[in-house]
Amino acid sequence: MLNRLAIGLAATLTLGPALAVAQERPAPFDAPEEVSIAVVRYISTGDFFQAYLAGVEAQAEALGVELRVLDSRQDAALQADMVDQAIALGVDGIIIQHGLSESMQEAAQRAIDAGIDVVAFDVEIDNPAIPQIEQSNYLLGELALEQAAADNGDDFTAGYVYVPGIAPLDQRNAAWEDFKAAHPGVTEAAVFGTLDNPIANAVANQARAVIQANPAIDVFFAPYNEFAAGVKIAVDEMGLGEDISIYSADISTSDIAAMREPGSPWAATVATNPTVVGEVSVRTLALLMAGETIESPVIVPPTLITQDFLDDNAIDSMATLSEKMPQFAHAEVALADWLPLPAR
Amino acid sequence: MAEPGAFRARLLAFAIRYGFLLLLVGLVLYFSLAAPGFANPRSAVFVLQSVAITGILALGVTTTLVVGGFDLSIGAVATSSLMLAAYSMVVLEQPAYVAVALCLLMGALVGLINGLLIVKCRIPDLLATLGMMFLLIGLQRIPTQGNSIATGMTLADGETAQGSFSAAFLWLGRHRFDLVIERLVPVPVVIFLLIALAIWLFLGFTRHGRLMYAIGSNARATALVGAPVARYKIAAYMISGVTAAIGGVLLAARLGRGDIASGNNLLLDSVAAALIGFAVLGAARPNAFGTAMGALFVGILLQGMTMLNAPYYTQDFVKGAVLVIALMFTFYLSSRRGPSMRH
Amino acid sequence: MLALHGLYKAFGANQVLRGVDLTIDAGEVVVLMGANGAGKSTLVKVLSGYHVADDGVMTLAGNAYHPVDARDAIRQGIVTVHQAIDDGVIPDLSVADNLLLDRFASRDHGLWVSARTLRREARQVAEAMGMTLDLDARVAELSVADRQLIGIARALAHSPRLLILDEPTSSLSAAEAERLFNLLDRLREQGVAILYISHRMTDIRRLADRIVCLRDGRVSGMFDQKPLDLPGAVQAMLGQTLEATAIQPVAPGPAVLELHDIVLAPGSKPVSFAVGDGEVVALTGLLGSGMEALVAMLFGQRPLSQGSLRLDGRDYAPNTVSEALARGVFLAAKDRSVNGVVADFDIADNMTLPFLKAFSTGGLLRRSRQRQAATQMIERLGIVCQSPQDAIGTLSGGNQQKVMIGRWLQAPCRLLILDEPFQGVDIGARHDIGRQIRATAKGRATLVCVSEIDEAIEIADRIIVLHEGCIAGEQYNQDIDLGVLAAQAAGHG
Repeated sequence: MLNRLAIGLAATLTLGPALAVAQERPAPFDAPEEVSIAVVRYISTGDFFQAYLAGVEAQAEALGVELRVLDSRQDAALQADMVDQAIALGVDGIIIQHGLSESMQEAAQRAIDAGIDVVAFDVEIDNPAIPQIEQSNYLLGELALEQAAADNGDDFTAGYVYVPGIAPLDQRNAAWEDFKAAHPGVTEAAVFGTLDNPIANAVANQARAVIQANPAIDVFFAPYNEFAAGVKIAVDEMGLGEDISIYSADISTSDIAAMREPGSPWAATVATNPTVVGEVSVRTLALLMAGETIESPVIVPPTLITQDFLDDNAIDSMATLSEKMPQFAHAEVALADWLPLPAR
Repeated sequence: MAEPGAFRARLLAFAIRYGFLLLLVGLVLYFSLAAPGFANPRSAVFVLQSVAITGILALGVTTTLVVGGFDLSIGAVATSSLMLAAYSMVVLEQPAYVAVALCLLMGALVGLINGLLIVKCRIPDLLATLGMMFLLIGLQRIPTQGNSIATGMTLADGETAQGSFSAAFLWLGRHRFDLVIERLVPVPVVIFLLIALAIWLFLGFTRHGRLMYAIGSNARATALVGAPVARYKIAAYMISGVTAAIGGVLLAARLGRGDIASGNNLLLDSVAAALIGFAVLGAARPNAFGTAMGALFVGILLQGMTMLNAPYYTQDFVKGAVLVIALMFTFYLSSRRGPSMRH
Repeated sequence: MLALHGLYKAFGANQVLRGVDLTIDAGEVVVLMGANGAGKSTLVKVLSGYHVADDGVMTLAGNAYHPVDARDAIRQGIVTVHQAIDDGVIPDLSVADNLLLDRFASRDHGLWVSARTLRREARQVAEAMGMTLDLDARVAELSVADRQLIGIARALAHSPRLLILDEPTSSLSAAEAERLFNLLDRLREQGVAILYISHRMTDIRRLADRIVCLRDGRVSGMFDQKPLDLPGAVQAMLGQTLEATAIQPVAPGPAVLELHDIVLAPGSKPVSFAVGDGEVVALTGLLGSGMEALVAMLFGQRPLSQGSLRLDGRDYAPNTVSEALARGVFLAAKDRSVNGVVADFDIADNMTLPFLKAFSTGGLLRRSRQRQAATQMIERLGIVCQSPQDAIGTLSGGNQQKVMIGRWLQAPCRLLILDEPFQGVDIGARHDIGRQIRATAKGRATLVCVSEIDEAIEIADRIIVLHEGCIAGEQYNQDIDLGVLAAQAAGHG
C-alpha cells in the first residue's frame, strides 16, 4: 500500500511540471513573471548555504518567478535594513534565511504591514503570520547521538564541539543535553569550539589540545560539518583514527570524501539536504502567497548517513547520495497540485 | 652602589628587553603545572604546528611593516591560494608541483600589484591592500560560483570534477619527519622554521634588509643615498604575497579540501603576532625573530587554555590582552626610556 | 618682565641647569647663545611649562611664575615658537584653520566654526604679519619657510608678554627673515619681551639688544654695550677662543666639474663655471637664487633644461641618484631630519648607509667592519658619543650633522656637494666640520651651498654668489668685503 502510494507520488513528481502548466494556478501565480520574491540571507559562506540557495533558485525557476538575493554577510543590522530594501523594491514575498530573532522581528513585521508574505528559515521570529521552516536541528542531533549510542554503547567519554549563541547549534545542543541526562554512563570530558575561519583549521588546533589533555575521549560529537572536519584532521594527525569516532551533522561532497577515507574516524552524520530545504522554503512561501493556511513550523526531516552506507553504495558526491537515498533528494513537505517542482 | 634613579633605569631597560620572553617562560611553566600533558615533545610540536601557518603569514607582514607599509590582503591571499591549489588539482587535474607553482606565482603577482598600487599610484598601503583583500575574497569564489571544491563536485557545465588532492600535495601538510621520536615534526613546521630563518637573516644581516629598515624609518633619506626605494617596497609586498601563498598551500594540504573562507582570522592572528614581535627583546620595531616568538606566544596560550577547557571567547579576550600588553611594552616603556637619554 | 634666579634642573644624574640668573625687560630682545648641550632647550622648556624646575625663583611682571603645564604658561603670557617647525602646524588643515587653531582649543570658543568669521579673523592675523598666503591652501603643500611663518603667527595670536623663538630663521631666506625681523621690531615697540635663540651672526647683529651666553648650565657671559662684542660672546659660549680660521686659498687642480650654459631659473641667463681638483667652492645666495635647482641637477633629481655638465672631462647628465653616485658625485643633503637621518638606526648604520655593499661579504653585512669605519670617522670629526652603536636620536643636532657629513666621507668621490651643512649646528661643531672638509679636499672637487655668507667665508677657497639664477659675484677668499657679497646676494651688486 505504502509502496504504491510512493510510486504514485513519484509519478506526480516527474509529471508535475508538465501537468502544472496546464493546470489553473491560483493568483498571483497565474502570471508568475510579474511575481518577485526575495531571500534575505544572514549567512552565505559555506557549502550548506550555497546548496540552500541552489534549492531556492531551482524552485523559483520552476515557479517562473523573479528571485532577488540579498546577503548581509553575518551583519544583523544590515540584514534588517535589507528587509526594508526588499520592501522598497516592491517584492511580493520574502524568505528570511537565518539571523538574530531580536533584529529580525521588527523588520519582518514591517514587511507584513506592507502586505508582503514572509516565511523564515532557521530563525525564531515569533510572529503568527510568519511560518517557520525548520530542518529540525533537534532531530538532527538526536539521530546522530542515537547512532553514537548504537555504535559505542551507553558508556563512553565524549568531546563536544559547541559555540553557543548560534540558533541551530543551540537546538542541537538541546538534544545533547537530553541525551546526557538519559545516558548517565556518558561523560563529557571537554567542550570547545570556535568559528574563526577557516573553521576546520582552527577547530583542528583546538581538538588536538583537547585530545592531549583528555586521552580518555573515544567519541566526538561535532554537530556541524566544519567542526567534524577539524576534529578529523586532529585525530588523523595524532594517529588515533582507530580509537576515536566522530558523529556530526550536515554533509557536503568533501565531507563524503573525508568520511570514506580509509581508517576515517568520521563514523556518521545526519543531514537534511540543504537544496531540499531551499526548495521547501520557496514552496511554503508560494502556498502562503496563494492564500493557503500553513501549519507552522514546516519541518524538513533529516536523514542518517553512516560511513558504512557510503562505502556499501560507493557514494562519492552529493549527486550520487541523492540518487541512492531518495529520502535525501526530496521532502514530502509543502506540496500542491498546481505547484511545479524543479526538474531533476 | 648605584643611585636609585640609575637602578630604576636599569630595571626598566631589563624589563623592556627581556620582559616578554620571561612572560613566555612563565606561561610555559604555568601550563606545564596546570595542564597535564602540556609538557611533552609532542605537545611542543603541536603548538608549533598550530602557529606554523599564521606564523608564515606574519613573517610576510613583518617585511611590509619593515618598509613602513602594511599588508591587509595576506589572509585573502592565503585562502585564494588554498582555493587555487584545490581548483588546479581537482578541476584542472594538474599534479602537485603545478598547483604549488601556480599558488606561488599568484602570491607574487598579488604582491606585485599591491606594490605597484602603493608605489606608482600612491594609494596609501592600508587602502590598497584592503581593496585587494575584498577583490581576492570575491575572486576566489568566481570559478566555482561560491562553492567549496571537492572531488565529485558538480561544475558549472554539469560535469563532475574528477581530479583529487594528490598524495604529494597532502604530504606537504601531513607528513612528519622523525626527530628522536618517530614521526614527530610535521612539514609545515619545518617550512615555517626555514622561512623564519631566511627572513631573519635577510632582514637583519643583509644590506638589502638594512636598506628596507632605512626606508621604513626615512624613505627620502634612503632614496638620497641611491637606494631603489620603489623596488624595495614592491619586493616587500611580493615577499608578503609569496609567504601568504605558501601559508595557503600548507592550509590546503592540511585540510585536504578547498573550503571557502575569507581568511580574516588568519590576517588578524598574523598581524597580532607581528605586532607582539615588536616587544620581544625591546626591539620596538618589526623583526623576524620577534614575529616568530609572537606567533609562538599566541600558540602556547591558546593550546594551554584549550587544554584547561577555557571557552573560545576567553581565548579571544586573552589574545587581545596580550597584544595590548605587548604594544604597551613597545610604545610606552620605550618612550620612557627614550628622552631620559637626551634632554 | 621676566626674572629668573638660581634656576636648577636635573634629569636623573644629569645636572643640566646649575643656577641660571636671567632678566628680560619689556621691549627688549635678549639673544641666548649656547653650544649644544649647554642647557638652552631645557631652560626654554622650563619657561614654557614643559618641565618644572628643581629649584629657583621665577617672576613674571612682578608676580611669582610657576606654570603647571604648557597651556598654563601660554595663558600667563609666555609663548614659545619651537625649532621643530612641524610641531607648530597641522599639515592637513588649511592656513586659516592653522592660524586660528589655538582659539578653537580655548574653552571660550563656541561650538560652531563659521567659515566667514574664520576667514576674516585669519586674514587679520595674516595681514598683521605681512603674510600673503592663500588662506585656503593646505599647510602640507607650503614651503618650510611659509610653515615657519605660520607657526610664528600662531604664537602671536596669543598676544604674548614674553615671546621665545628657538632658531626661527634656520629655514628662512634672507628676505623672509627680514620680514620676521620687522615684525619683531614692531613687537619690541609694543613692549613685548623677546628671548631669541640663535647662532646666526646676521640675526644677532640685526636684532640683539643684549646677548646672554649659557655654558654648562650657567650664564657665562652677558654683553649689552653697543656695539655688541660678538667674538667675546662666542668665547664666553665656548669657553675658549677659536683660532682664526684664516683660509689660505688653494690653487685648484685640473677642472673636475664644469658647467656650460646651465639655466637655473626659467628665463634667466645661463651660468657657466668650473670647480677644480682640491678646491672648495662655496655657493651662496638667497632662497630662489637657483642653488636648489643646481644641486638637484647635479644629483640626478632634475633634468637639465639647457646646457651641459662635464665631470672629469666627460659628459655628465645623471637621471637618477644611483647614476650620480656611480660617477662619484656625493650629496650631503640639507634638512638632515627629513633628507638624511634614519632615526631608527644607530650611528654606525647611519654612517655606512650608502656603502653597505662594501661592508658585506657573500650577501651578509659585516657589523664589525661597519663599527670600525664608524669609530674612525667619529674620531676624525670629534663626534661626542659613547659608541658607534648609540641610537642617532641620542645625539645633539651638531653631532647628528657630523654623522651626516661623515657618511659621505666614508668613500672617495669626484665631487662632494654639501647642501647647508651648518644648519642648526653650533659654532664649535661648525669648525670641526669645516676643518675636516678642507683637510680631505684633495683629490676631489667640493661644492658647499650655504645661505649665510659668514659660513661661506669659513670654509671656501672661492665664493660664488647667485642671484635669481645668475652669477652675481665671484671672489677668492682673501680680503673679502662682506658688505659687497651681501649686496650682490640681495641683487644690488
